[in-house]
Amino acid sequence: MVASTLSFLWEHKSFLLWGAWSTIQLTTISVALGTVIGTVVGICRVSRSKVLSLAAAGYADFIRGTPLLVQIFLVHYGLPAVVSSYVPGFYVAPFVSAVAALSINSGAYVSEIVRAGIQSIEKGQTEAGRSLGMTYGQTMRYIILPQAFRRIVPPLGNEFIAMLKDSSLVFAIGYNELMTRGKILMTKYFQFFETWVAVALVFLCMTLLVSRLVRFVERRMAINGES
Amino acid sequence: MVRVENLHKHFGKLHVLKGITNRIMKGEVVVIIGPSGSGKSTFLRCLNLLEMPTSGDIYIEGVNVINRGENRVSINKVRENVGIVFQSFNLFPHMTALRNIELAPMIVRRVPEAQAREDALALLNRVGLADKADSYPSQLSGGQQQRVAIARALAMKPKVMLFDEPTSALDPEMIGEVLDVMKGLARDGMTMVVVTHEMGFAREVADRVLFMDDGVIVEENTPAELFSNPQNPRTKAFLSKIL
Ligand SMILES: Nc1ncnc2c1ncn2[C@@H]1O[C@H](COP(=O)(O)OP(=O)(O)O)[C@@H](O)[C@H]1O
Ligand SMILES: [Mg+2]
Repeated sequence: MVASTLSFLWEHKSFLLWGAWSTIQLTTISVALGTVIGTVVGICRVSRSKVLSLAAAGYADFIRGTPLLVQIFLVHYGLPAVVSSYVPGFYVAPFVSAVAALSINSGAYVSEIVRAGIQSIEKGQTEAGRSLGMTYGQTMRYIILPQAFRRIVPPLGNEFIAMLKDSSLVFAIGYNELMTRGKILMTKYFQFFETWVAVALVFLCMTLLVSRLVRFVERRMAINGES
Repeated sequence: MVRVENLHKHFGKLHVLKGITNRIMKGEVVVIIGPSGSGKSTFLRCLNLLEMPTSGDIYIEGVNVINRGENRVSINKVRENVGIVFQSFNLFPHMTALRNIELAPMIVRRVPEAQAREDALALLNRVGLADKADSYPSQLSGGQQQRVAIARALAMKPKVMLFDEPTSALDPEMIGEVLDVMKGLARDGMTMVVVTHEMGFAREVADRVLFMDDGVIVEENTPAELFSNPQNPRTKAFLSKIL
């Protein structure tokens, strides 16, 4: 079993590694966009405007309260169906849908991380900024967010790892990443056990690598200033 | 310089300030004493609008600063002119001492960076920390952090400086260095309102001492008179406990 799995892995290494590369690309782009969305939404969550904070909370609740696979189908099949009734033949490539669905999903989780990060900064920091005549925006930009972001890095790393795994769901709309390639190998060679252990091992390598990287960045930031 | 008329502050149902009226002259040093919970911090925080008073008026150099139209720009303008030093320092931990001081003048007053830096270094020198410009707050002792905090407030060239128990969080051996900086400020003619339990400081520096209890100014006098000859029984009781 071990030997056959290893030889299977070796035999299909470049096929699987290309899949892993797609997964990493997809995850990186999605979490990067998700971080932008999540930062904006997270700031809205803590804003004094009731409308903004309610809208932001609604978005986060909707995304976190529904399955990712449903969201992927909604973006890939649901929305284009609406648009194509106005623009016949409208079609969205799986990569675009995948990035859109995963970014929107990631944004909701990141917004929670950002909100928690902002709220973890002591009230005295805001008061110090405001008492020096800074506006709310200046206090956010120069005082609160830079401190919040240091605290956000570790949970953001966890979000990346979670997304690395969850992105496998986009196989359902035919985007050619690691999971999809596992399915291709399975139907071609019928080595069910070897195929899925091999895919699992490749995922495991990626997540272990990323968690190492996150810890390294964390330590570097602890050295550069702040207690 | 600062005129307060019948100031009231409620936190929900809690009536914390119950009609404070007072005048603070230019260059005057006023020390506020009183038991914990009597509203001293709330009073100071109302003076730079960190708390919005429920009713009453505050005039700074003749201008009524309570703009009940929620005009935020004017609130920020008020705060530029009223510096505050907190018990817990509240330095920005992700910035060096120098950056802590130069930031607000640069982004609020739009002072050019070179000028802001020069001013910040001069202020560090004034509080005796010229060699700590590049230190982060976590690398400084409590006394040093509080002196940087004073320099940071001074950098905005405020007309009034408020101090809320600036030495209460400090180890005893560091209290002196902070009080010395404050004495220097007083000598240079800064208008100051200081909440403190340091009676030695009050005796030496204050022009006037206010005794606050339960949201009102119970009694005020020169430090010599108030400490040696309190009139109100509440003042007597309080002083007998702390002197
Ligand atoms: N933000 C706030 N919300 C509710 N109650 C407050 C708040 N700030 C202060 N208080 C209450 O107001 C009273 C006076 O507090 P404070 O001004 O801090 O007194 P002091 O500084 O004299 O000890 C206390 O009972 C305190 O619990
Ligand atoms: Mg207090």
